Amino acid sequence: MISDRIKSNLTNELRRSLLAKVGIVLFVSILLMGLFAPVLATHNPHEQGHSDEAGASYPPLGLTDEITIAQDGERVSHTVEGTSEHVLGTNNVGQDIYSRFLYGARTSLLVGLSGTLLATAIGVPVGLTAGYFGGRVDDGLMRIADIMLAFPSLVLALALMGAFGRGTVGIPDPIVAAGFADGMPETITFPGMVTVVVALVTWVWFARVARGEAMAIRNEEYVKAARSLGASHATILRKHVLPNSLTPIIVLATIQVAAIILLESSLSYLGFSGTTLSWGYEIQRGHDVMRNQWWVATVPGIGIVLSVIGVNLLGDWLRDALDPNIEGEGAGGAG
Amino acid sequence: MAFGKFLIRRLLQGVFVIWGVVTITFALRALSPGDPVNLIAGQVPDQSTRDQIRQDLGLDQPMYVQYFDYLGNLLTGNLGYSYNQRRAVNDIIAQHFAATVELAVAATIVAVVIAIPLGVVSATRRDQPADYAATFGSLVGISTPNFWLGIMLILIVAMQVGVFPTSGRGIAFHEAMYNLFRYGYVLDLLSWLSYITLPAITLGTYFTALITRLTRSGMIDELGKPYVTATEAKGLPRTLVRYKHVLRNTLIPIITVLGLQLGTLMGGAVITEEVFNWPGLGQMFITSLRNGDWPVVQGIVLFIAVAFVVINILVDALYARLNPQVTDE
Amino acid sequence: MKGVINQSIDRRTLLKLTGAAGATSGLGALAGCLGDPDDDDGDGGDLDLDTLTITQGEFPDVEDPNDHITGPYFNVYDHVYEPLFDVTPGEEPQGRIVEDWEHGDDGTVELTIRSDVVFHQGQELTAEDIAFTLERQIDPDVPPASDQVAGLGSIEGAEALDDTTLELSYSGAAQLAEFEFGNYLRAVSQEWYENDAPTTDDGVISGEDAEAFNGTGPFQVTEYNPGQNRIVMEPFDDYWGEAPNVGELIFEGETSDSGRVSSLLADETNFVDNVQPSEVGNVENDDDVRIEEVTSFRNIFLPMKNEVEPFDSLEFRQAMNYAVDNEEIISDILNGFGAPMSQPTPPEVNGYNPDLDPYEHDLEQAEELVEEAGYTEDDPADITLTVPEGRYLNDAEVGERAADQIDQLPNVDCDFESVPFDVVSEANSAGVDHEDIPFFLIGWGVITGDADYGMFGFFHDDGGVQSFRDEELQTALEESQVEDDPEEREAMLQEVNEMAQEKAPWVFLHQQQSIYGLDADIEWDAREDESVFVWEMS
Repeated sequence: MISDRIKSNLTNELRRSLLAKVGIVLFVSILLMGLFAPVLATHNPHEQGHSDEAGASYPPLGLTDEITIAQDGERVSHTVEGTSEHVLGTNNVGQDIYSRFLYGARTSLLVGLSGTLLATAIGVPVGLTAGYFGGRVDDGLMRIADIMLAFPSLVLALALMGAFGRGTVGIPDPIVAAGFADGMPETITFPGMVTVVVALVTWVWFARVARGEAMAIRNEEYVKAARSLGASHATILRKHVLPNSLTPIIVLATIQVAAIILLESSLSYLGFSGTTLSWGYEIQRGHDVMRNQWWVATVPGIGIVLSVIGVNLLGDWLRDALDPNIEGEGAGGAG
Repeated sequence: MAFGKFLIRRLLQGVFVIWGVVTITFALRALSPGDPVNLIAGQVPDQSTRDQIRQDLGLDQPMYVQYFDYLGNLLTGNLGYSYNQRRAVNDIIAQHFAATVELAVAATIVAVVIAIPLGVVSATRRDQPADYAATFGSLVGISTPNFWLGIMLILIVAMQVGVFPTSGRGIAFHEAMYNLFRYGYVLDLLSWLSYITLPAITLGTYFTALITRLTRSGMIDELGKPYVTATEAKGLPRTLVRYKHVLRNTLIPIITVLGLQLGTLMGGAVITEEVFNWPGLGQMFITSLRNGDWPVVQGIVLFIAVAFVVINILVDALYARLNPQVTDE
Repeated sequence: MKGVINQSIDRRTLLKLTGAAGATSGLGALAGCLGDPDDDDGDGGDLDLDTLTITQGEFPDVEDPNDHITGPYFNVYDHVYEPLFDVTPGEEPQGRIVEDWEHGDDGTVELTIRSDVVFHQGQELTAEDIAFTLERQIDPDVPPASDQVAGLGSIEGAEALDDTTLELSYSGAAQLAEFEFGNYLRAVSQEWYENDAPTTDDGVISGEDAEAFNGTGPFQVTEYNPGQNRIVMEPFDDYWGEAPNVGELIFEGETSDSGRVSSLLADETNFVDNVQPSEVGNVENDDDVRIEEVTSFRNIFLPMKNEVEPFDSLEFRQAMNYAVDNEEIISDILNGFGAPMSQPTPPEVNGYNPDLDPYEHDLEQAEELVEEAGYTEDDPADITLTVPEGRYLNDAEVGERAADQIDQLPNVDCDFESVPFDVVSEANSAGVDHEDIPFFLIGWGVITGDADYGMFGFFHDDGGVQSFRDEELQTALEESQVEDDPEEREAMLQEVNEMAQEKAPWVFLHQQQSIYGLDADIEWDAREDESVFVWEMS
């Protein structure tokens, strides 16, 4: 499936392109941060700093913040200095921003990767079937795809969340279970409904690309030959059509990871996520206090931008190297 | 002849798509957990009042009856009635869509005005600093969530500079224009401009980045085609060839892509309006969704879908006119 | 959207109050509780401004004054459609359009209204109009299907005796009826409604311009566009009283908390509501604007539905109160802007028990009590606190902190979930055995100034939002409702409060602070009931 030609194309392109290298570095760093969040974090991301006289909110290290508090009807002002305890400061409930940043990476990647996987699993079979059989099947499936396209992805995702609610699944955190990170949350809150919803709004792009590939392949001589030798449609689809459409699907999947990360952050910014350990949710929080504590909204935003840039660069690299000709496809950044 | 047939086929498809959208949103309402009677009657305990409301809304009917009633109403142009606002959904959309259109158009203008020159420069000075800057800029633009961009603009521009309000719409464009031409008020128009600038940039950035990328790669493809070298050889000035022929051929496919991206524009508008408290359809959509006011949610989704379908038929028609072979496909 | 829940609970409670046979009003007992009524809340003042802009977090989305029942909406409407009385919690109603009123012995009251009151569009106000307005509100056969019917639960009907005399009939106590018609009757003109008013098919006044408003208040609407969150008014020339001296009064809606403060600081508005505690310093550092605050009658608390495990255990509920440190929540999350709650009734309200102290923060005690309730470190109680987002002051943050504090207990696992408000609202009215969301954060204003108002709905089987079922508490509440002697009744309510503290139906958090930001040169005192009237400014 991955031929030597593809491999050499990939390495050549990687050697040539600085941006591809940057993309890999960014993506891998974010991936590592997410994977090892419990080890890298300095605080439990849910743990709230408890009050000293100045309240619980700290600016990042090296900055100061003026806090006014009402005490017995009087106003008391405190100047709070950033501490090395909370390198990036704390949010308005006193949680460590650095640690939440790491856990936010985890949520973004979890939803981005599993949402893409799910969308692929829905879209590719639909698209291959439509393209391979053509005719009525194709017409029917593509009309459904048309309907999906008429919904803005964010709007449809919001409506789905509104109707289905915000179910989450708790998964035990293997790193904490293995005893490598004491005091960290024992379960990963996996925003299952969000994942399903983002897959439901993006599968159609996979269906379109897979269909195009299948249409091109079904008239190839070797497919016709296989058919005349008595191979069933299912076998042909699995053995010939699918492998040959993989390249564009992989490229599209990479782009979609970026789109889904943006979509997830938009949903959680609007309060439809299901977990509080999300960059979007944190930005919503920071929005309320931005005049005083601007860092609360700023830090997670940088996380989103960097990871989406990383994934997009990966996508550019794959596209340039493999040239699958899917320019202009993709749900785009709904965020 | 072929064109007429093509158009009819697209229209029929469009009707089907809209029916699908209506059906899906109806299903979502049916699946959603909230009870509309609670929304209307609050906590009125009196069962007979509640039953009365349920009956008035037709909610006591079986789901399929409600569905056909809803379809029937839609055919007469009636989008239903808001649970929360005691107002026809048609009116709500009429009151809010101008603000959204204003924002979307402004964002598109921002995007086109910045992106096309940027894409052209990038393509014609390939691998020079200008190209790198444009490529990098559009990469960042395409990767930035617009709600965060909006917040950063408020934080950095609005709060520090003070010229641009942090939120709200101020005055409607048509009112500002009316006052300009009727009374010669320039201030209203400036005020309008100050309100819309940051939201338009917020919404437009993604599209600026997208169009820059598309223009660049389209131009590069076109510049490599034989006719470019041929016309240049004929002695036509280079710039003319580049900007007139090459750019025109590049833009045609871009328009199609933009038609398809209209949904993204509307999705972006939803969140931009929320960040800037822009009183448009997007904000109304979010508010209604949070309140479980499904008739408004359904109405707005339907409205967006109709706009999407109509604009895409227009784009396709335009495209088919320019490229007759499309109709034969 | 602060306010809706309170209002809907309020009317619900009232309905029940009025339904209870022979219930003597809580209101009668209140007079004097807050001291003498202000002398200077009459019209005029010495406000002198070209333009006064008031920016609220919530803006009316309906034009009909007789339909919805949301506090911040009335702040706008009351300048256009005036109530018959001036009502301030804890005080006797003051006549406004009504000059004089006299109760008969048969559940009727005769109101004499001023003869010089005209509507903005020229009609004269007659007793007939008020009777008609009341019909719109309470008669299910006369549109609209008004929410306000519940706020007028004891009023049975009205009849105009002549142009200036109106006879209202009511069931229940006279004082209660007074509160109801005093608070909820905002007259519309029958002639206008029937001939000129823009209405929808089902009779709701609903229009898209200034013509959709026609009241008798000191201000008339001159510009309105429902899509714009903005309404412009100017003083009404033919107002019967003295209209405040403001050239133009503008109400605007701005949902973003920081956006409102930005507008105030940029001098785009003169008055904003619901200033975030963290923004107070920003406002006070600016010489042109100032902060005005008052501890409102709005309680913030966590109901625990006691027919759902583990909240059926008294020890467990008490443990939750010991585990939560409401002082810390106030200082950390609310920057000190709030007062800890000790009982269901806020101070200054009739029936408040001054001898009760808030639960102390005591994790050890809490752990022991949870253990007594049958949960251990190996088999901890598993609960989730559900919190609305953006409804009350820093609600999600308050809830997250409370959940975190409970989670400190080794034998309790407390999760936190934030949801849109309507989810919480549904859970709140879903009954005392509602398994899905038995533990949540909600706020509630005891705006009548009587303790019954804050407890009946939550603690009685006939209450609309029952979260707690306890025979003893119910009986005590019922008894207090039929007690005629105000002093005796106050004592009884104080006992009910003590009982409620002991039984711990809620985790008691705090009374919310209403924080307003306004121009430094406007004099105005914030009201506990969260109303904003321009005629009280100077």
